[in-house]
Amino acid sequence: MTVIEIDGLRKSYKAGKAVDGVSLRVERGEIFGIVGPNGAGKTTVVECASGLRRPDSGTLRVLGLDPQTNRRELLQHIGAQLQEAALPDAIKVSEALRMYASFYDRPADWRALMDEWGLADKKRASFASLSGGWKQRLFIALALVGNPEVVFLDELTTGLDPSARRTTWGLIRDMRKRGITVVLVTHFMDEAEALCDRIAIIDQGRVIAEGGPSELIAKGRSDSLEGAYFALTGKDVA
Amino acid sequence: MKGITSVIAVELKLIMRDPMSAFFALAFPAIMLWVKMRSGKPLPGGLPAIDATVPMLSIFVIGLAGLVVLPATLAGYRERRVLKRLRATPASSTMLFGAQWAAHMLLAALGTVLLIVIGLAAYGLTAPANSGNVLLAWVLSALSLSAIGLLVGALVPSGRTATVIGLALFFPMGFLSGAVIPRETMSGSMRAIGDLTPMAPAVQAIRDGWTGAAMSPITLGVMVAITIVAGGVALRAFRW
Repeated sequence: MTVIEIDGLRKSYKAGKAVDGVSLRVERGEIFGIVGPNGAGKTTVVECASGLRRPDSGTLRVLGLDPQTNRRELLQHIGAQLQEAALPDAIKVSEALRMYASFYDRPADWRALMDEWGLADKKRASFASLSGGWKQRLFIALALVGNPEVVFLDELTTGLDPSARRTTWGLIRDMRKRGITVVLVTHFMDEAEALCDRIAIIDQGRVIAEGGPSELIAKGRSDSLEGAYFALTGKDVA
Repeated sequence: MKGITSVIAVELKLIMRDPMSAFFALAFPAIMLWVKMRSGKPLPGGLPAIDATVPMLSIFVIGLAGLVVLPATLAGYRERRVLKRLRATPASSTMLFGAQWAAHMLLAALGTVLLIVIGLAAYGLTAPANSGNVLLAWVLSALSLSAIGLLVGALVPSGRTATVIGLALFFPMGFLSGAVIPRETMSGSMRAIGDLTPMAPAVQAIRDGWTGAAMSPITLGVMVAITIVAGGVALRAFRW
């Protein structure tokens, strides 16, 4: 079953075209990767799909809903971890989870979520006192607190040390086990290769290749997704 | 309005954890009371200074909480992208405004209670002649001044800018409207300027309530109008 349908999405900012005719299908229960260089339009696609930005043209359906006209209803069923988003410095982990849970009609049990994601020991810690890895863990828990069917993760592991990244990968696989559809924006090819069922490579606002990791590797005549990415985007490894 | 009580509870805790907000709304007005009562001669007309000062400073507290702290909180959330994260939840901007208003007005209520307790304990404050009118005046003042604060917080990009704008609105208004200096001792021209500020009806109404003078429907109407216009524009202009 298709949970996200994007057709002919276009969006320009003052600086120029960010997304120039993107079409995508995301199926229920998969981890779908969106990869590409900085400024390729990845975040704009995700922000349009989660109702945060209004597309210039194109049609979007997420869980059968239009992210613009049915925004509030859609937000009950999706979770998001956004680039550069933050919480107030002095808010405690447990307060943030309890407050975010109160926004949803059918929230998850935030205490159970706190335990499951290993945040129980940090429940009295303030947001400002958390390290990058713990902040990301809290953002994942906040993305899940509304019991979402689809979760958008935008550069979740950027800025994490290698061991925190590996831990986070495990957390993302756990989401798939629970039947949640995950849309993962990343510029780490090893991450996309390890986690994603299907991947779209976006460059200059267009999808230039799409498929499973092994399909893309074959298409790029390479032995890794990273090699295939450079072959397909025409970017130089140097 | 889903989640409003939990947002109010969290915001109130956050305000109390911030030493600046607590100082502005609680300690600063109490210090002002002490300073003013050191030379507290009865006002022209014979009203004991404390019976004018406590209602005046309660508007001062509302002004600090609603015009200075509230916009700084909202704009700081915008600057630090706290609002960006909230926007990806079903929380509505109306709910957020309501919760911020309530949390900051609870802070102002604490400050007001503190002033009344000090006034009663140390300076022989007389109880309000018409408590219902005092309460009505307090609530309308809290609504009208905070609506202006929400408007600043809805538009300004950073917390620092919001603080500067808030203070630039608050201090001239505070001194000219009679929230700091009793209107009875101000010159006619100062009073005329002060009457043009949105704080003047607030001071007028709460002092009338305290002494038992009839409250002017025009004064109350002006506060209702400010609330509707500034609050309405703030909601429409709000940027996440």
